[in-house]
Parts: sequence; structure tokens; C-alpha cells
Amino acid sequence: MQRVFVAGVGMTRIGRRSEPLPALMAEAARAALADAGLEEPDAIVIATMNPEEFVGDGNFASNVATHMGFSDVPAVRIETATSSGAAAFYMGFAQIAAGLRRTVLIVGGEKMTHLATPKVSEIIGRSIDPYERTYGATMPALAGLVTRALMTRQGVTAREISQVAVKNHAHGARNPLAHFRQAVRIEEVLESRMVADPLRLMHCCPISDGAAAVVLSADRAPVRVAGVGHGADTLAVRHRLELTSFAATRAAAREAYAMAGFGPERVDVAEVHDAFTPFELISLEDLGLIPPGKAGRATLDGETALDGRLPINPSGGLKARGHPLAATGVAQLVECVWQLRGSAEGRQVANASRALAHSIGGLATNNWVTLLEGA
Amino acid sequence: MRGPPGMMETIAASKCPRCDMVVAPPATYCPYHPVAMVPATLSGVGEIVSFTTLHMPPEGFRSPLHIALVELDGGGRFVCHGAGTRGLKIGATVAIEAVDDVYYFSHLGALERARLFWRRAGHAGDRVNAIARSLTKRVWKGRQRAAR
Repeated sequence: MQRVFVAGVGMTRIGRRSEPLPALMAEAARAALADAGLEEPDAIVIATMNPEEFVGDGNFASNVATHMGFSDVPAVRIETATSSGAAAFYMGFAQIAAGLRRTVLIVGGEKMTHLATPKVSEIIGRSIDPYERTYGATMPALAGLVTRALMTRQGVTAREISQVAVKNHAHGARNPLAHFRQAVRIEEVLESRMVADPLRLMHCCPISDGAAAVVLSADRAPVRVAGVGHGADTLAVRHRLELTSFAATRAAAREAYAMAGFGPERVDVAEVHDAFTPFELISLEDLGLIPPGKAGRATLDGETALDGRLPINPSGGLKARGHPLAATGVAQLVECVWQLRGSAEGRQVANASRALAHSIGGLATNNWVTLLEGA
Repeated sequence: MRGPPGMMETIAASKCPRCDMVVAPPATYCPYHPVAMVPATLSGVGEIVSFTTLHMPPEGFRSPLHIALVELDGGGRFVCHGAGTRGLKIGATVAIEAVDDVYYFSHLGALERARLFWRRAGHAGDRVNAIARSLTKRVWKGRQRAAR
């Protein structure tokens, strides 16, 4: 297998953006290409979750490639719901690892804020099992079921899931590209509006626009892709054997650690999929980064804060950086690269040499774990 | 078998001949094995696995919307609605009943179940509309099934 390096990264400011989606994706892609010192990649992999419904356009690989002046560069679009960005990264990685291409541009993006929230929820909800949808299941509803089980059966407290939001907002306040750049107090989180009992508004990530891009290369660069893993689980939540742990994360982590040849104990910093703050606690344990049953306590103790033993979501995570769906998986990797290069100004984790990115697709049906290493 | 006799709903399900997993409603193939499932029937009694109250339900549902995941006796987890979740606990035994093809859990006794029906029927303000809608839905669903 050919070794794969990250030659360049770039991303837009995340938040409410007025530009069309192809323009946002071009902005991120051009930044990544400039960072890599590359004018034209051998191939392009695009990630968008649902441009057909969010912006009304299809054939999006050709759309974005053409917009950027790459109409003659082979481009494909990858979709695995909310983890599409991480999936696209894997497809780019695989092309280089297999020796099929020397350079691949991966760009993920989504534009949603121009639509009303109920419409956005409905479109995101299409990634849920159709039968469960007939009962009004939305992502927050299913996350509410998971959270209730987590609190009742594992003893996780409202304070613990709220502290995740406090921590990630504090990190986001240091990230100039984050959607939310203000710190929040735990009382604000605990008293925010109930969305899907026991899940409150400030336990949920925002609706955001934005794009992120990575250039992968067979040529040596300061950051190497050490391992990538993919795990899958049933579309229907009712077909799951367990609610408070995601089998897809555990499978993805096993595969990624095996490829990398190192385990969770060697990870210095991680970007974890906190679309709902309890998911960060579940995922930390699924990834083996925190022992089972300890993630809530570790969060309250500050272990996962920027100055803690294992900083989690230095970018602010989905909660504060924002969650432009298919951009997210790529944005997590961009943050990891900045951390490994020592260029995450204002939120740099000291001496980070191995980083992990974890992305959840749908309600944990299609999850990815990517490990990067300073080369 | 738990629950009061005589008012038990039956729920159509399917079972995997390889791993014995039961799913409801029935599926063509086992979610974990590429083998055809065989039909099974479950009784409408089970245990609450988890529940939530949705305060911003999608279009077509009234707020607050109570949703529960129930582990049915005989296996298989089932998603259903309820009239309320006050006093409800994970692990509680509930009965499941169909009202207009929609399944509801109930741990609240007959009076609450009757209210459920009226609540749903009163959705558009009058009962006739609700019945008409339910009939239309049945016809439409029937067509959908035929088309498959």
C-alpha cells in the first residue's frame, strides 16, 4: 500500500453564509490547493449530503469541479449522510494508497441556513429509517431516546452532558472560523429549551453553512494518514441491540487502529462527532479514549478540555464550530492537521503528534475513524 | 405472558431463521443476515427500552409528541406513540394498541386509552375528518403496498 500524506488543507468560516454552495466549496478547495502548492489535482472527491433538496442541484461532483475550473478532472460525489466528508476522505485515501492517483482533492460542503428549521430537520431526517419516520422520529428524537437510556442505565448526569457544550463553546470561542464564538455557562445549557426530553437545545449542534477541503498526495508531507476505519450498523434504531454505545464507531476504531499499528493510548488530540453532546461521551468510550463509564466524570474534571490530559474537539466540535453536514468530516481532519502542524493559533494542543477524527453518519449507521500522524 | 387478557393487540413481525432475531413490523431480510425472514406474530405487551417527548415534532404531528422504544415480549423492538410519559420509567411494562393503524403504548389504564383515541380523532377539530383521513390513508397505503 502506497503511503498517503496530507499536502494541504483549507476551510471556510462556518456559519450563516450568503454565497452559493459551489462558491463555498471552491473557497475551501482553493485554500487547500494553495496550502499544498498544487494547481490541479489528479482527481476530485466531493461530499455533499443532500444538495438536491438543500439547494436544488444534482450531479454535484461535475457542478463543483466545473465551477472551480476543473471540468476535465475526474470527480465523484460520495454520500453517507452526516459522515459524507469522512467517507470522501477515505475514497481519496484509497485512490492514492492503491497507486491509482498521485494527488486527490477532497472537498465537503453543505448549505442549509437559507431554509426554515423544520424544513432542514425534515431533510436531515430523510437519513432515518422510513418506518420510524412515520412515527415522527427526527434526529433529535432518536438522540433523545439514546440520551434517556444513557442517563438511566449508565448514570450519566445532565451536568455531564451539559459540560460537553460548555467545553466545546469555550474551544469554539478561540477558533476564528467557528459558527459560535462565545462561551456559555453550564446554567444556560441546563436551562435551555427542551427539544427531545431529556435533550435540550444547547445539547444540539447548530444548522450551519460551510465547506472544508484536504489535498492528499503520494509525495511526502508533514502529516501522514496513519489509518482509516469504517463501521456500519442498522438503519433502524429499533433493530439495534444496544442504544448507549455505537457498534459502528467501535468497528471503525478497530479497523483504524489496526491499520495505524497503534491504539487509543497514543492519541494526543481528537475531533469527535458531538452533533448531540451525549454523543461525545458515548464516542469517547466507543473509541477507547476514555474507559467505559468514565467519560462524563472525565469531562467534568476537565480532562477533555484544551488544557486537559486529552483535548477533545479543540475546534469547538460540531456544537460550536458548527455542522455543515458533509463539510464536517473534512473540517475535523483540517483541524487535526492544523493541530499536528502546530498552526492551530489560539487553541494549539502542546506537542500533538497523533490525532483522531471520528464522524457519525445518520444515527450511527455509517461511522468513520481516521488517524493522522506527524510524519 | 404479562398484561391483562382479552385486550391484547397482536403485532405482525418476522424472524430470522439463522439468528432468531425478531423485527417488527416484518422485514423481507434479516438486518444482520442476507436470508429471508419468516412471518411471526407478537403480542402487544412489552418493556420500555427508552422514551422521549419531542417538543418540535415534524410537520403532521402535534406537540408534544411522545415516542417510545418498546422491547416486545417474544423479542423485537418496536417504535410507538403514547398519550404521555409522566411517571413512565425505562423497564416499565406497557400495553401496545393500534388506533387507526398507529401503535400507542399505554401504562395508564382504560380511561387514558379512551382519551388517546379522542385526542387523535380530535386532531383537526372534528371526528369525521379524522375518520375520512384515516380511510384515505389506508387506501393510499394499500396502493403503496400493491406497487411494491
